[in-house]
Amino acid sequence: MVVTKIPKIEIDYAKCTTPFACKVCLEACPQSVFAVNATYEKRGMETPKDEPGAWQLNARYRDQCTLCGVCVDVCPVKALKIVTEGA
Amino acid sequence: MCRLCDIYGDGGVWYLNPANYARQLYRLRQPGEKPKGPEENPERITEAKVSEAISLKMEHPERWEEALREADEHCSRVLAYQVVPLAEAKKIVHIAAPLASMHCICRKMHSGKEETTEEEYSCLGLGVGMLKWERWPERYRGGVHFMSPEEAEEWLEKWDKRGFVHLAMTFGVPYIGGLCNCQYPDCAELRYPKDYGFRYRDTKSHFVAKLDPELCNGCNLCAQRCQYGALTFEPRSRKPTINMLKCWGCGLCDTACPREAIELLSRDSIPVLANEIGYSR
Repeated sequence: MVVTKIPKIEIDYAKCTTPFACKVCLEACPQSVFAVNATYEKRGMETPKDEPGAWQLNARYRDQCTLCGVCVDVCPVKALKIVTEGA
Repeated sequence: MCRLCDIYGDGGVWYLNPANYARQLYRLRQPGEKPKGPEENPERITEAKVSEAISLKMEHPERWEEALREADEHCSRVLAYQVVPLAEAKKIVHIAAPLASMHCICRKMHSGKEETTEEEYSCLGLGVGMLKWERWPERYRGGVHFMSPEEAEEWLEKWDKRGFVHLAMTFGVPYIGGLCNCQYPDCAELRYPKDYGFRYRDTKSHFVAKLDPELCNGCNLCAQRCQYGALTFEPRSRKPTINMLKCWGCGLCDTACPREAIELLSRDSIPVLANEIGYSR
């Protein structure tokens, strides 16, 4: 297996729908590789945490990933995969 | 010399210049149509450029250097974020008003941390903009807590004790609208210079730490506090050593030292540091 310089972290959005309510990976990642963003902001209200799709998870800083694999292990819906194959 | 003082200091320190806290008080509506979309807020364009550059690095690492240069150049014109040691941060809370603590947006985004009580609020909003926080509850999730300058000094000490770096932030240069307590890697403003090499996005403080090995007893309390990798424990002498080229002058080592063995020198008194690109122009 060839380890790429920058690992890919695949997020299955069909499974990961309410990442700010769950946030297990965000809390677990020692490098803070992930970022969660509200997909919309409305005047006068907080973006609801439990609304599917209102928040989205991204592996924004995946070049800082150390391949520890904690996120994959803790994800309760098994939505994360670290891919290191390929050049 | 600090490039921010050079441009916005009016002959003094830019973040001690009251004019840089006053924009919101004097803003007049510009005649004609208000620009719509990204043109409305040049900071949004900068944020987008920084994000695009970082995303590009993931897919096309070979194009990173160029993307970084371009985004960094943009930051130099639109943003002014500077590290300030505790003593300087305490001066700021006596210039700006009102003062309102709020949750940290970086920690919300990057570690899912929700700060919902006064005890937890780790960011400080400055200026009359804070009076209309209720319009954007998502931006100010959990609310805000208004403080007197004296309360704010105590609050800054609390975060300093816990090992957070203080940072003065502008919202539309040179308007200073925030005083953050930051930590690596959750806070973007520590991550961008450290992990991505942005030179103009965040500016080093006007100070640099120097250790007096004669006063130091090697207790090592400071070594855990340096977030910039500048202060490291030296096994041979059993005392810390400070790399001044890496030091951002946050002063966290100084405030931790029980023997006053660390002194904050003026960065401008050391030519190689005073003329460094990013700090100087």
